[in-house]
Amino acid sequence: MSGPSLWWIDWSLHGGSMRKEAAGRFLLCFLAALYFLTMLLSGGVSRFLSGQYTITAILRIGVPDEEGAGIAAKVAVMAPVREAHYRTPDEAWEEFLVAYPGLETLRSEGKNPLPGYVEVRLRPGRMSEEGIAEIRSALTPLSQVEKILSGGDVMPGLLRMKLWANALLWSGFALVCVVFLVILAMQERTRAARLFPDVSFLAERGIPGNRIAVRRAAGAFLAGGVVAVLATGASFFALLLASGRFSLVRTVVGPAEELLAARFLPAVCVFLLAASIFPGLASLAGWRAAYPKGR
Amino acid sequence: MWIVTGPPSCGKTLLMRILRGERHPDSGDVIVGGESLYRGSPEHNRRFRADSGVVPESFPREAGKTVVDLFRLSALVAEGVPGAEQESRMAELLPLVGLSGAEGEEVASLSTSERTRVALAVELFRNPRYLFLDMVLANAGSEWADKLGGLLRALAREERTILMMERQLPEKWQAAIVSSSRPAGPFLLYRLGGPRPVRMAAAEPPPVETLPEKTGVWE
Repeated sequence: MSGPSLWWIDWSLHGGSMRKEAAGRFLLCFLAALYFLTMLLSGGVSRFLSGQYTITAILRIGVPDEEGAGIAAKVAVMAPVREAHYRTPDEAWEEFLVAYPGLETLRSEGKNPLPGYVEVRLRPGRMSEEGIAEIRSALTPLSQVEKILSGGDVMPGLLRMKLWANALLWSGFALVCVVFLVILAMQERTRAARLFPDVSFLAERGIPGNRIAVRRAAGAFLAGGVVAVLATGASFFALLLASGRFSLVRTVVGPAEELLAARFLPAVCVFLLAASIFPGLASLAGWRAAYPKGR
Repeated sequence: MWIVTGPPSCGKTLLMRILRGERHPDSGDVIVGGESLYRGSPEHNRRFRADSGVVPESFPREAGKTVVDLFRLSALVAEGVPGAEQESRMAELLPLVGLSGAEGEEVASLSTSERTRVALAVELFRNPRYLFLDMVLANAGSEWADKLGGLLRALAREERTILMMERQLPEKWQAAIVSSSRPAGPFLLYRLGGPRPVRMAAAEPPPVETLPEKTGVWE
């Protein structure tokens, strides 16, 4: 027997069932965290689409390679841009031949009929009409640029579909959270009812029910926090393994090590806080359901 | 050490609940330390209950609950007792009630006598100043009456107030009664052991001593 406290009354008196519940909660939290981290990293379908989509600025024939590379370097530092590369006319020709083999004869007298071009890829979160317009407005005034290919009329529809797909995926995450909450509340209610003889024992000996409820909730908050940290850590490593092993995961979801970037920290902290608060609230709600006022 | 005796269903348990501050009396009052348990502050009532132990007539037989779980529960009331001290106190108390090594036993598997003695040990674990025992002698069995009597008298000598509810006193106990019995409605009230030291009476009158003068539940 080690110094028990009302914070851990459930663990102290129903240790066996608490361990099973904690294992179940860990699994649920792991799934929720995996979903959340995946969404955070991929932005839903944004990363996949931004990987497939490029803005191509075709340069005029005769633009020196240095100027082409200079344009790519300037575009690369713009906020919506993930990466920008200059392809020389020779590289463009090789790509053309790979796509259309047997057309070598088009290059008469050794002259390359293709110009160089700058290929721009957007960040997953900035792949929007505004982001595209920003790149276009930066490239259009340049005299070296002959034409900009950015998806044309198809893009607005595609971007709307992206929004809907992302909304659907986030709704899925919300559903997971709701299921998590409902299961927590049911577990807490059942356990609170099972604690009835123990609560009566304590109440008869001068420990008010409200004090027990609040301290149990505080214990559930802390225990929930520990479970959330462990489950989120486990889901991060699972994602790291999967993205390292499967290129499809890396393409669709992204490299998991990016999650260590500071920009993801606030979202992860909010997730951990919510995953800690949920069990605390569920504990209070379960208590209130098992012990209505006056009981 | 006080004993209230009376026939079944005469209200002994109800009286005990009233004296513990759990059940508001229809009339009359219970004064502890100069303050009413019912008209005083709720905190006074709570403190009194925290400072008292109670062994009910029927102890809940929850499946899966062991003797050590009951001690854990009692330890929750007595927060602040170090874990090591709790262990040693439990190891001291169980032999006192004839249940050495029963820590891991399921309460549901114990006999009525054993459950009653465990319940008493669980209450003594917290070292309560007031002890309310409902049918402890009857439930513990006649072979335990003398041993428990010795234990309870020793506790009373340590300036604890003990109130017992029984249907009848064991015969041997009749001889130990110091003050004469006093009829009080359906009950008989006995006081066992020597009078309390004067300095205690002056410092804080025992809570149940004033009860015979009260009306209401006694009538």
